[in-house]
Amino acid sequence: MVFQNPKIPEGINVSSEHPLKNFIYLLLGVSAALIAALLVLFYAIGFIAKWVPFEEEVRWAESIGESLNKSSGKNGRDAQNGLLEALGLPTSDKSEDGFDEQYAVRAEKVGSYLQDLANKLAVAQELPDPIKITVHYIDQPVVNAFATIGGHVFIYQGLIDAVESENGLAMVVAHEIAHIKNRHPIVALSRGLGLGVILSLITGVGGDGLSTNLAGQVNLLTSLAFSRGQETESDIEAYNTLLKYYGHGLGATELFAELVNSGQETVLPEMLNSHPLSQKRIERLEKMGESSSAGCSYAAFNCTLTPLPEFAQTFNQ
Amino acid sequence: MYDLIILFALLLLGYVFGRMAEKRHFRSIIKRESEYQNILTFAKRFPLHNEGDQRAELVGGNVVISVDYFKRFVATLRNLIGGRVTTYESLLERARREALLRMKAEARKKGLNTIVNVKLETASITKGNKNQVGAVEVYAYGTGLLSTH
Repeated sequence: MVFQNPKIPEGINVSSEHPLKNFIYLLLGVSAALIAALLVLFYAIGFIAKWVPFEEEVRWAESIGESLNKSSGKNGRDAQNGLLEALGLPTSDKSEDGFDEQYAVRAEKVGSYLQDLANKLAVAQELPDPIKITVHYIDQPVVNAFATIGGHVFIYQGLIDAVESENGLAMVVAHEIAHIKNRHPIVALSRGLGLGVILSLITGVGGDGLSTNLAGQVNLLTSLAFSRGQETESDIEAYNTLLKYYGHGLGATELFAELVNSGQETVLPEMLNSHPLSQKRIERLEKMGESSSAGCSYAAFNCTLTPLPEFAQTFNQ
Repeated sequence: MYDLIILFALLLLGYVFGRMAEKRHFRSIIKRESEYQNILTFAKRFPLHNEGDQRAELVGGNVVISVDYFKRFVATLRNLIGGRVTTYESLLERARREALLRMKAEARKKGLNTIVNVKLETASITKGNKNQVGAVEVYAYGTGLLSTH
């Protein structure tokens, strides 16, 4: 018997299909399925997260930002910096000698003024019972205010300086309260965490420590992204709160007008921006003002803006 | 955003160099297979007619080939939906044929012309290590004989 090594025909074990073609089909198919699944998840979480009990939300907030509940504008600048640091936010400059005590007195005063205002607005907004608003006052010239889980609202001095009257400030505070009332922070946080976990499971980035990593990131608390729909919802709710609390809607557009005037608005087109453009918000609020007879038709109320208390004006001037 | 750019760069790198290497390797495999055509290999444990076999020695060929990033990425996508992982099929084909060729090369060096009881072993070098691109090892071995066929 004679043996010989035959030449093996090619292309049996190796596919002749171009690898790029294979790759593109796979990529398109998988990403289409993925996007569909993520969309479903996104809406499902939005629906479910609203039913998380508020007490549970408070516990989450404490577990992420431990110092959240300790101060609401009472202590000195060190305490405030401690809170900011714990949340991953920029801190204020170190105080000079003898400055801290004076500072603490004022911070407490402004803090309790804001807390008081928030409480009154919460009543006007008919905030459901278990939900409590905790206001944190931050003495920094940043024009910003935000709400996060557990009913915590942060208000910066820069924002107080940007509005002209208490009405303008109340509009912003009521807007943040409306976020909390409609459970936007917990929805946004759940969405962020949920989608983050799913995405990292799929892409394989992250590994075992992933969930603890994500949950331990304190800046999650301070950078919640609300949708434009949620912002608009809160605007409308806040405006109605103003109508109820002051009897008129004057001053509601102060902050937006200031943002437009000072050119602080981002140059991104509205599509790419989570917040509606200030100009649009002003227009919508003005339209609401016309239709809701906010233009001071109630004889019972006098149509004047409530001034901001003097101590709330900038301290460092 | 940077992650996407890095991902794209890695994919491009993996695709360009991986494909170049694969094409070159296949050309070389086909060429050397015809060079070693006169070394006969059998899966049987014993030669069919063993009169005249003067020597019997262990011969083996070992090869490790790395997966490139592109192949791994495509395979990861494949993992989600199932089907032929064609990017790995060609990799293993190369590894098997290369290992057999190296075994034959060793046999020729030892002056042997027949290999019986040929076996292949496969191992994944980076087994269990996550986030590593990974490499595959194939070891081919058998009993080399000097036969008067």
